[in-house]
Amino acid sequence: MADYQAPLRDMRFVLNEVFDAPALWASLPKVAENVDPDTADAILEEAGKITSGVLAPLNREGDEQGCKWNDGEVSTPEGFREAYQTIVEGGWVGLGGNPEFGGMGMPKTLVAQFEEMMQAANMAFGLAPMLTAGACLALDAHGSQELKEKYLPNMYSGVWSGAMDLTEPHAGTDLGIIRTKAQPNDDGSFRVTGTKIFITWGEHDMAENIIHLVLAKLPDAPRGPKGISMFLVPKFEVNEDGSLGERNSLSCGSLEKKMGIKGSATCVMNFDGARGWLVGEENKGLAAMFTMMNYERLGVGVQGIGAAEASLQSAREYALERIQSRAPSGAQQPEKAADPILVHPDVRRMLLTMKGYVEGGRAFSTYVAKWLDISKYSEDQQRRKHAEGMVALLTPVAKAFLTDRGLDACIMGQQVFGGHGFIREWGQEQLVRDCRITQIYEGTNGIQALDLMGRKVVGTQGRLYELFAEDVATFIEENSGDETLRPFLEPLAAAFERLSDVTEHVISQAGDNPDAVGAASVDYLDLFGLTALGYMWAKMVKAAAPKAEGDTSGFYTGKMKTARFYFDRLLPKTVALAEGIRSGSGSMMALTAEEF
Amino acid sequence: MPDYKAPLRDIKFVMTELLDSEQHYANLEGAEDATPDMVDAIIGEGAKFCEQVLSPLNRVGDKEGCTWSEDGVKTPTGFKEAYQQYVEGGWPSMTADPNYGGQGLPSSLGLVMSEMVGTANWSFGMYPGLSHGATNTIEEHGTEEQKQTYLTRLISGEWTGTMCLTEPHCGSDLGTLRTKAEPNADGTYAITGTKIFISAGEHDMAGNIVHIVLARLPGAPEGTKGISLFIVPKLLPNEDGSAGERNAVSCGSIEHKMGIHGNATCVMNFDGARGWLIGPENRGLNCMFTFMNVARIGTAIQGLGAAELGLQGSVTYAKDRLAMRSLSGPKNPEGIADPIIVHPDVRRMLLTQKAVAEGARALIYLTAQQADIVQRGKTGEERKAADEALGFLTPIAKAFLTEIGYEAANLGMQVYGGHGFISEWGMEQNVRDARIGMIYEGTTGIQALDLLGRKVLMTQGESLKGFTRQVHVFCKENADNEQLREFIEPLTALNKEWGDLTMKIGMTAMKNREEVGAASVDYLMYSGYAVFAYLWARMAKVAQDRMEEGTTEEMFYNAKIQTARFYFKRMLPRTRGHAESMLAGADSLMDMPEEAFAL
Ligand SMILES: Cc1cc2nc3c(=O)[nH]c(=O)nc-3n(C[C@H](O)[C@H](O)[C@H](O)COP(=O)(O)OP(=O)(O)OC[C@H]3O[C@@H](n4cnc5c(N)ncnc54)[C@H](O)[C@@H]3O)c2cc1C
Ligand SMILES: Cc1cc2nc3c(=O)[nH]c(=O)nc-3n(C[C@H](O)[C@H](O)[C@H](O)COP(=O)(O)OP(=O)(O)OC[C@H]3O[C@@H](n4cnc5c(N)ncnc54)[C@H](O)[C@@H]3O)c2cc1C
Repeated sequence: MADYQAPLRDMRFVLNEVFDAPALWASLPKVAENVDPDTADAILEEAGKITSGVLAPLNREGDEQGCKWNDGEVSTPEGFREAYQTIVEGGWVGLGGNPEFGGMGMPKTLVAQFEEMMQAANMAFGLAPMLTAGACLALDAHGSQELKEKYLPNMYSGVWSGAMDLTEPHAGTDLGIIRTKAQPNDDGSFRVTGTKIFITWGEHDMAENIIHLVLAKLPDAPRGPKGISMFLVPKFEVNEDGSLGERNSLSCGSLEKKMGIKGSATCVMNFDGARGWLVGEENKGLAAMFTMMNYERLGVGVQGIGAAEASLQSAREYALERIQSRAPSGAQQPEKAADPILVHPDVRRMLLTMKGYVEGGRAFSTYVAKWLDISKYSEDQQRRKHAEGMVALLTPVAKAFLTDRGLDACIMGQQVFGGHGFIREWGQEQLVRDCRITQIYEGTNGIQALDLMGRKVVGTQGRLYELFAEDVATFIEENSGDETLRPFLEPLAAAFERLSDVTEHVISQAGDNPDAVGAASVDYLDLFGLTALGYMWAKMVKAAAPKAEGDTSGFYTGKMKTARFYFDRLLPKTVALAEGIRSGSGSMMALTAEEF
Repeated sequence: MPDYKAPLRDIKFVMTELLDSEQHYANLEGAEDATPDMVDAIIGEGAKFCEQVLSPLNRVGDKEGCTWSEDGVKTPTGFKEAYQQYVEGGWPSMTADPNYGGQGLPSSLGLVMSEMVGTANWSFGMYPGLSHGATNTIEEHGTEEQKQTYLTRLISGEWTGTMCLTEPHCGSDLGTLRTKAEPNADGTYAITGTKIFISAGEHDMAGNIVHIVLARLPGAPEGTKGISLFIVPKLLPNEDGSAGERNAVSCGSIEHKMGIHGNATCVMNFDGARGWLIGPENRGLNCMFTFMNVARIGTAIQGLGAAELGLQGSVTYAKDRLAMRSLSGPKNPEGIADPIIVHPDVRRMLLTQKAVAEGARALIYLTAQQADIVQRGKTGEERKAADEALGFLTPIAKAFLTEIGYEAANLGMQVYGGHGFISEWGMEQNVRDARIGMIYEGTTGIQALDLLGRKVLMTQGESLKGFTRQVHVFCKENADNEQLREFIEPLTALNKEWGDLTMKIGMTAMKNREEVGAASVDYLMYSGYAVFAYLWARMAKVAQDRMEEGTTEEMFYNAKIQTARFYFKRMLPRTRGHAESMLAGADSLMDMPEEAFAL
């Protein structure tokens, strides 16, 4: 296992050279107050140190030890508590938080880089700050001033952690049918009763208090998704003076044994008339959740990239060290018993595929983060609205495509290790197991695909798609005279046309056939993602090309070559996907349940 | 973990209806016992054993794993007893030589049993599975004395076997292995060296363990041409053949791994252990190649098993689990939501698994019949043709099936949503177990080189033509069949393209040897989808014929046709991506300087 090193060089390239983040930040006054290029750079540097120095070394052991449940208490793997303290002291939990309550107010474009590092270094651990930040976001957007003052400062600091309690035994995707109840008390609080499952970091020993955001139904609430409210339910009640009070009546009933992210606690949470406070409006709980969902979903996509980056680092180190067989074109290291496996075309195919997705994915997540920043901070309403549209369209792609390709990359990183890839101590198989959850939680990737195609594309009759299409078309047009870019722009334009055609096709089909969307959605999302990454690679070529000539570092020439590979070997998959989509839903719906 | 139900109906469909096993067995030398009744009885008995004894131990094996101590390796609770029953049932001897206690049944029938054993409990199946390798080696290359001592006991199941190839520094490239064999005065050899990753290298289920070890004689030529095979028993046999003194071979530790926890993966230390040469000096690798194909089909079955088990679990779950309403209106209005099997995307996942599992079964049985003919064909010509077909199909079966079987297992898990990730449901175990299939017995990358480099290009495309000719004949025969048009048309086009692509790659490979490695995995995957297209078209035809004749099993045959249709519409298009990618050439792979990978 290679020691994880934060890919700062590439992150700086993406931020500064591809997206000119400093200019973006300067254009958003609220952001500009808090960040300038120097601060950002210092943050990246420090984040790199802490993630590689403190979090990464705990990753393997966290997997072996897991969390332990004892009579409602959960103890974390060795070193997690101390590491959490370090994260708290560095103020990392509140990096993107609202400064009014003690957050640091950093833009998502920057925060996403920190998140990637943290998830790459130790995904099981990284979920704790991630969920806390998510809970803060929801609370900040929807909580009353009183709740915010009472809870946010300690959550941003990380002294208290947060959990999101949505799922129940019978309901995960379909939250409309949850059963947890909330009954009003006289003092304006509520009694929350019910069972939640799969609650990440619902209980642990790293923070002084745990703040649960719980979805529940009020008495007489309408059925379905429109009858769900959100409640803040703390593990310990908080006194007027902010000190911790009584233990609330909620408890962790057990922990799940699972495939990966074993260092994290996945809890069954029992609420027995626990005291909670309404967040936001009655029956608007799901909508409130959705405001933070875009951030969380991008965050999960970033987990996919992070795991893939960690796998890539180890795989390329291994490929340089492991000697096995001779290069097809003759011995490269005749003094050794065999050549390093990096000489073999197929090993290169695996490494370049990983690189293509990881670096392309990093650019894409930063691109989506850019729209999130604009949608949150821009003072120009039109610009904000445009960005909101982009966010809505691109978020499901970021979540599902980046986690699907992240898993593919981890599997390849394991394959590069041959038999050793299957052995725990080498760490590659853990990354596969850890990464696998990202396709499931925060809405399965199947659900993301439905969201993209059903709600965002078909649902708006292509209006949101047009926003993205314009962006790509403008880029292609603006650069059409650029000779170096041409070999990339042509296949990009072709893939992009294919995507647009298919988009039109599915919109027209969806009208008469309700199953058309569900039948095409996953392939459509894939097609979208591959094309979007093609766009990212073209943007990276544009940034790298002028510097590639006479480049002695190899960074820029390497970018150009990885881009070439992406267009030659990965983008062609779009052809297959388009064909599959056009074949329609008939072959999928014909079988009866028994015939399976 | 879903309870495994042997898919007897589909097994029968593929064996008898698709591949006419009755005629096939009648044409083989010495397969008189494989009458239809006998075959049914054996499969039925085997199914019961797998469902009742092996399947319940699958979760146990994963949870407990094997434990190592100075005294040896303990297998998970129940494994030892199950193995005893397996032996008592006579399963180890099924396909072995009757002169040494075997039942002499054809290999293909043994592989059906392997499928059921492996799907019910892959980790368990590997113990007898590795004995198979040792049995084959001794059967084909051992002396009479070696056969009397070892073969009889391996065949009875009293002893088990292993294959000791891999060393810490070499797996794919066995030419560099270092284990030494030095002649003793009595004609035996002293074997010294370390082998790693040895499956079933040590355990508590059998009276003795017979290691087949690859090692070098003093002065042996370098590389693959200097490797010899040795029999190294854990306990040295006494004069009467019973297990005696302990040999100087021991298990140093076992690996902690992603899956197949129930099977011990051992570091084996040989400290001047006594061994016996088997086969000619320095011809060890060639000796192994004689049965490599059958061993690889054995591994290919892991892909089939993973898909089948995932499918069985996820179909049941998809009918039970309620979430959301169907897009075309409620299907279960009295319930709080519809079962998830109504959702197109869940169907996509189920149908993909179904197309993979059933297609894999067809491919494995087809390949296994070639192995039968190689072993017992009546004429030299038949045997030679089958050998070529077997050589061509084996790397495809091994690599393609383990790859898409793994994909299918992941889909099976995805159908379970969050529960898929939780151990008690068993779906994540299926994924973890399946992962090794793409690695051992030659990685996917190595199989792909074998297919494109050795099998196809080295025969100037002849081995491919042998297969595409069959496809061509089938397409021609059915060219006028209106109802099959949706399958025959694309298959005809694909068959032609397959040859064209091969030509193109062959041409570029003559100029640049990197081209083979650059195209190989895409080529292998393309070939896999093409072979599947042929098999699915044939299955659709059988189903169609049955429906026309009139059948009481309309539902079964209808499902076959629907699945074939799904395969052609939704999976076969993947060949487009592979075709384009394999023609993209080696440059974009090879141009990147080593250092740049780390930037
Ligand atoms: C390790 C782990 C951590 C988790 N952490 C949290 C947490 O912190 N908080 C929390 O609240 N939850 C958490 N979850 C729960 C997670 O978000 C859910 O498991 C997920 O949303 C899926 O729901 P489900 O498991 O009920 O699957 P189901 O909804 O039962 O789905 C089963 C399958 O059906 C498909 N499906 C369902 N409906 C449709 C449809 N309409 N169309 C097409 N396909 C459909 C799904 O894609 C899936 O493949 C966690 C889960 C795990 C395993
Ligand atoms: C659980 C388990 C059980 C096993 N059981 C046994 C057993 O019973 N007996 C036994 O002898 N072995 C066994 N093995 C070993 C297994 O067969 C090897 O791990 C496998 O052959 C790969 O060899 P390697 O691990 O040395 O990988 P390497 O050969 O180091 O390969 C590393 C990577 O390089 C690639 N590569 C190597 N050479 C080339 C080339 N020329 N061109 C292109 N790519 C190349 C490979 O595809 C792979 O991706 C087992 C392994 C495991 C994990």
